[in-house]
Amino acid sequence: MNVAPQTYRKGEIPGVIAIRASDCKGCDACKRHCPTGAIQGAFGATHSIDVDACLSCGQCLINCPFGAPYETADSVENVLARLRDRTVTVAGIIAPAVRVAIGEDFGLPAGTLATGKLYSAMKKAGFEIFDNNFAADLTIMEEGSEFIARARQAVFGEKGAHGEAAGPLPQFTSCCPAWVRFVETKYPALIPHLSSAKSPQQMAGAVAKTYGTKVWNKPADRLYTVGIMPCTAKKLEASRPEFNQAFLYNRRNNAAAGVAYPDVDAVLTTRDLSRLFKKLNIDLAAQKDSAGDTLLADYTGAGTIFGNTGGVMEAAVRTACAVITGKELTPLDFRPARGLKGVKSASVTLHDAKYSKDVTLHLAVVHNIAQNIDPLLRDVLAGTSPYHFIEVMNCPGGCVNGGGQPVYGNGSSWLGAIRPWFAWN
Amino acid sequence: MEKQSLSYIENQPALSRREFITIGGIVVAFLALPVVWIRTIVASNNDYIRARTKGLYQDDARAAVRVSHANKSVARYYREFGGEPLGHLSHELLHTSYINRTKGLVS
Repeated sequence: MNVAPQTYRKGEIPGVIAIRASDCKGCDACKRHCPTGAIQGAFGATHSIDVDACLSCGQCLINCPFGAPYETADSVENVLARLRDRTVTVAGIIAPAVRVAIGEDFGLPAGTLATGKLYSAMKKAGFEIFDNNFAADLTIMEEGSEFIARARQAVFGEKGAHGEAAGPLPQFTSCCPAWVRFVETKYPALIPHLSSAKSPQQMAGAVAKTYGTKVWNKPADRLYTVGIMPCTAKKLEASRPEFNQAFLYNRRNNAAAGVAYPDVDAVLTTRDLSRLFKKLNIDLAAQKDSAGDTLLADYTGAGTIFGNTGGVMEAAVRTACAVITGKELTPLDFRPARGLKGVKSASVTLHDAKYSKDVTLHLAVVHNIAQNIDPLLRDVLAGTSPYHFIEVMNCPGGCVNGGGQPVYGNGSSWLGAIRPWFAWN
Repeated sequence: MEKQSLSYIENQPALSRREFITIGGIVVAFLALPVVWIRTIVASNNDYIRARTKGLYQDDARAAVRVSHANKSVARYYREFGGEPLGHLSHELLHTSYINRTKGLVS
């Protein structure tokens, strides 16, 4: 123990999740939810986390019956300080899954869609709204174009505009930071298969501090970007040192000097944001609906379903269909990508208008990688995978059940499920 | 003194067929209770995931625009600033690369 972590670079948070030894009963409930077996300790003994194997996904945290795992990185006070500072514009980058879960912390039923109330509460706290769904739409444009380039290279031998080669198939989505870390730490041979598109959060940060300086009329060093995420692994993602592209861009264009700033300055989970609202005495449930003010809060239905398992695939299919065939997908609902089955697969045949040929694409959607991913990856490594495009999300159900969401007292949290029956509650 | 004979005769089990079935039924019912209870908890396990999922699909269904390539603000971003998908600026700001973390990084 106490060996320096080997799988992190300088500046990265070495493991967002830790287990409070005094609360751990050694019941092993968490081990069932851990995608990498990073939880150490025998049954009955206090558990601890191997940070090198840990993905920081937080599934153990939301499923522990005793609330023993906790987050080591907490930015609520930093964000509050920036919100109080009148010279700084604080942009809140709101992920899709936050709007259907944060209501639970303020007495609304599970799954209440509270976008308008959330916007109001954010504005009251002093945030500018950057809806991450806008960045999700941007992700589809980039990742979808990348997939079409890879597919056309594989089928028609098409080369890029400058003769560059596109990556191999199947293409994996890269929105999920826990999944990216899973590939980096366990299957590095598959790195070329990951889409090179950044996750929506990091796109949002880079756009906010470049294009956003014009939208809000603020220099980038007076902009403070806060990712508001259903996810604990996003805290780790934001700390990756390569994500300061906005600073490099601004410096090259003589709009920045001095200390480098990251694209995303701080990340709050849904739970963190509830805590922040409660510190400011803002009752989200009592807010009126309001709209986002700038074009950076403008989003489509395809962007918002990113929070569900299958949502990225569905959004990508809608756009890929329009780009390849020239016609919109009808109906727009892509049913095979929906539902909670562990591995969902589908095939779509599209008529490529550019080459006047039919192309059949095999697609797969995987979530809950603790149970479902390994057989699929073995096929890809062996070169026998039938798929062209695979969406992967670490958490069961996708981001809506992310490790940063309000803890719902059931699942394997059996203690939470029976607690209301206790006489003393 | 005559030796006392100690012979104990147990009562015949006075349990009729009916009684046996009744008692057996009660025991089985009590045994089944936790099974039903655990089944109910397991069945409601994913209810909150389904509820949140439904919330997002609702947001999609009621959206005026439901495809990313028709997002006017995204189009405006590309027109005013970003160029085109997979373009030069996109590669700079919106794409990244990954690292092999199995080799042991110097931290």
